[in-house]
Amino acid sequence: MSEEFEPNIVAFLCNWCSYAGADLAGTSRTHYLPNVKIIRVMCSGRVNPLFLVNALQQGADGVLISGCHPGDCHYLEGNFFARRRFMLMRKLLEHVGVDPARVNMSWVSASEGAKFKDVVDEVVTKVKEVGPMDQFRRRQINW
Amino acid sequence: MVDEKKLQDKARETLSRDDVRRLIGWKRSTYGYEAAPAVLTDASEADQLIFDPTCVQNPASFISLEEKKPVPRGQEPDTRKIAVMVKGCDSRAIVQQLVEKAYNRDDVVVLGIPCIGVIDRRKAEKLFGETGKQVKAKVDKEKVAVDIGGDVKTVDRKDILMDKCLRCRYPNPLVSDFLLGDEVEKWADDDFADVDEFEKMTPEEKWKHWDEQLSKCIRCYSCKSVCPMCYCVECVVTQQKPQWTRRSTDISENAAYHLQRAWHLAGRCIECMECQRVCPVDIPIMELNRKMTREVKEMFDYEPGVDAEAEPLLASYNPQDPEDYIM
Amino acid sequence: MGDYKFAKDKLAEALSGLTDYEVFAPAAVGDVLRFKVVEDPASVSLDYDNTTVPPKELMFPQTETLFKYRLGQTDIEPTVPDASAKRAVVGIRPCDALAYTIVDNLYGWDFPDPYYQQRREATTLVGLACSDPCANCFCPSVGGAPASEKGLDALIFDLGDAYYVKTLTDKGEEFAKAAGLEAAGDAEAKAAAKQGEEALGKVQRSIDTAGIPEHLPELYDDKFWEQFSDRCLSCGICTFLCPTCHCFDIQDESEGFDSRRARMWDTCMFAEYTRHTSGHNPRPTRKERTRNRISHKYSYFPEKFDVIACVGCGRCINNCPVNIDIVDILEKSKQAGAKEAKTA
Repeated sequence: MSEEFEPNIVAFLCNWCSYAGADLAGTSRTHYLPNVKIIRVMCSGRVNPLFLVNALQQGADGVLISGCHPGDCHYLEGNFFARRRFMLMRKLLEHVGVDPARVNMSWVSASEGAKFKDVVDEVVTKVKEVGPMDQFRRRQINW
Repeated sequence: MVDEKKLQDKARETLSRDDVRRLIGWKRSTYGYEAAPAVLTDASEADQLIFDPTCVQNPASFISLEEKKPVPRGQEPDTRKIAVMVKGCDSRAIVQQLVEKAYNRDDVVVLGIPCIGVIDRRKAEKLFGETGKQVKAKVDKEKVAVDIGGDVKTVDRKDILMDKCLRCRYPNPLVSDFLLGDEVEKWADDDFADVDEFEKMTPEEKWKHWDEQLSKCIRCYSCKSVCPMCYCVECVVTQQKPQWTRRSTDISENAAYHLQRAWHLAGRCIECMECQRVCPVDIPIMELNRKMTREVKEMFDYEPGVDAEAEPLLASYNPQDPEDYIM
Repeated sequence: MGDYKFAKDKLAEALSGLTDYEVFAPAAVGDVLRFKVVEDPASVSLDYDNTTVPPKELMFPQTETLFKYRLGQTDIEPTVPDASAKRAVVGIRPCDALAYTIVDNLYGWDFPDPYYQQRREATTLVGLACSDPCANCFCPSVGGAPASEKGLDALIFDLGDAYYVKTLTDKGEEFAKAAGLEAAGDAEAKAAAKQGEEALGKVQRSIDTAGIPEHLPELYDDKFWEQFSDRCLSCGICTFLCPTCHCFDIQDESEGFDSRRARMWDTCMFAEYTRHTSGHNPRPTRKERTRNRISHKYSYFPEKFDVIACVGCGRCINNCPVNIDIVDILEKSKQAGAKEAKTA
């Protein structure tokens, strides 16, 4: 393959901060890398680590979970729960040999459009370096 | 060691109580190095009960395995207690189930048994070969005496005991209504040397290891069935709608299953090692759980199954939790 | 048919000669043996008790694509295996070969299953006689033997210094020719027969099955089952590792528009197995499920096909984590029921 590897990043953004942050990045005409596919969830605390495994199975090369800054959660404490979960999930994936660079988390508030751009660019660059995720990608159907 | 006569008497007394509907302990199996779990409902059966180093199963698993049929109209549900015999490690399962409010403390009668080690069937088979005979065993501070149908063999206890026993920190039950036998002294400690050893591998080596191991999985789900902490009415991996994990067996779905299981046990696994013991294809499942146990301990200073008043790890938080990788 | 032999160190050579065949033999990962395609003939060893996972997976894989399709299109692409692609299974134990003859009944009954049957037809079964049966084997009680020839195309005997191969069918003869085996004499045949006799005497467990198929239905509502089912974990070890268990589930899977319909092993020991869409489950507890497993093997199947669906390989006994022992259950079943029947 002569083409450069373009990673697929699935981003779970919380409705109240990070999604609004991404929106701000867009309305401010900030250019961020198009590799990221955004899924809006109500809170980072709603993101089950199972989503992450499933995304990696279905062809994502990296995952980004983003929520409000600690203390700013719309539901008061959802992001604290999320933080614990993904700390652990990341270690678990590392333990089976999945590069931890594929699991990313960030705090982006509604006013941080610029930060959102930086986060996405950094995640994409990191995942580009580690290459495509092919360890446990689904390949049952070989057409 | 606990006196068998005393144990049977206590069991008989417990089963005779009006408020106890069944008792879970161990009995001699039809063959081999492992006892069989005994689920008794009648005091007359109590003389089957035994306790020796072949009693490896975790009776706490069987509390939630009981399926209840719908109660016919006009009848009252049976709310009598379940009595359960536990070793030190097994008692942690009860503590953790109480933490999670799986049932109330009043719903169980716990008969605790101090224990200084149980036999690992795989190690025993390597040492003495497979056997179709009934096996009894005795353990003291140095040696394990294994009686294979009358043929007694003595072996150093570190060569035959389960790995969990070699790093046992809770030989005495952490919860019990009655203690059978005298408390024993803690003789081992856990330094997570096995996890350290594993982590010396490069990511490529780790994946190669797991690729080989998880590819073997036949998804019989014995690991989740036997786990005392896997008591969900419907497991997320067998759920059809939404179907998170497909039923087909290949490395993708097998890895997803084992990752989910390890993740769901993070901060809950009490290290009874039942999952690894029952696995028919010898997947080292505990390697995943051990890693989680250590991370939980290091990052959140939390140990499951020790304090019945504790908050469940992932249903609580500390504003000062580590977040070193978060951008 | 013919008598052949080959020296022990010539195994790899014989296997390398089988260029027309896809050869399967037991391969180990740690202590776990399973039949795999032979990539390096030198790595094959015929020194083992039996495989952990039975070779039923060679005819009836745990996950098998039935056909492929694309969402939004009406044509399907069946993936039936090719019966002319020759396969050889080397080192299958007589019990597992006997299991195929039992399962054949089902897959050739109301609907001839092309997936199973094509594979069966394409496969040459080269057995390996047991000289030292495992602790929990009871094959002679259910129509087998350590050197049973049923279902096999050829049978290998380990005579210590050499292997003696007895071919039993044309397929087996063809296999022996392809492997380039040398002819054996009377001495080897006699030694093999003697070994078979001796092995039969070494089988430790047994069960007299007379009357069991008729008796088990009488225990249908008996409390008898609870003494075993109360400790059952509802896992799938006994059924997945059973060489005659043949139940499957069918599921559709898709990745984008590319889809397939696949079948995968299912087990009557899972609660989901019989759960209806409504939520009702006719086998709600482990009692019904344990009863079903035993009764299906020893009563329902014989009723339909006149053969007990158990080959006595001992896998369910060996691998059950809670010592649910089928021989023990059957033995106890004989005494059960009589008392209750009178009082009821």
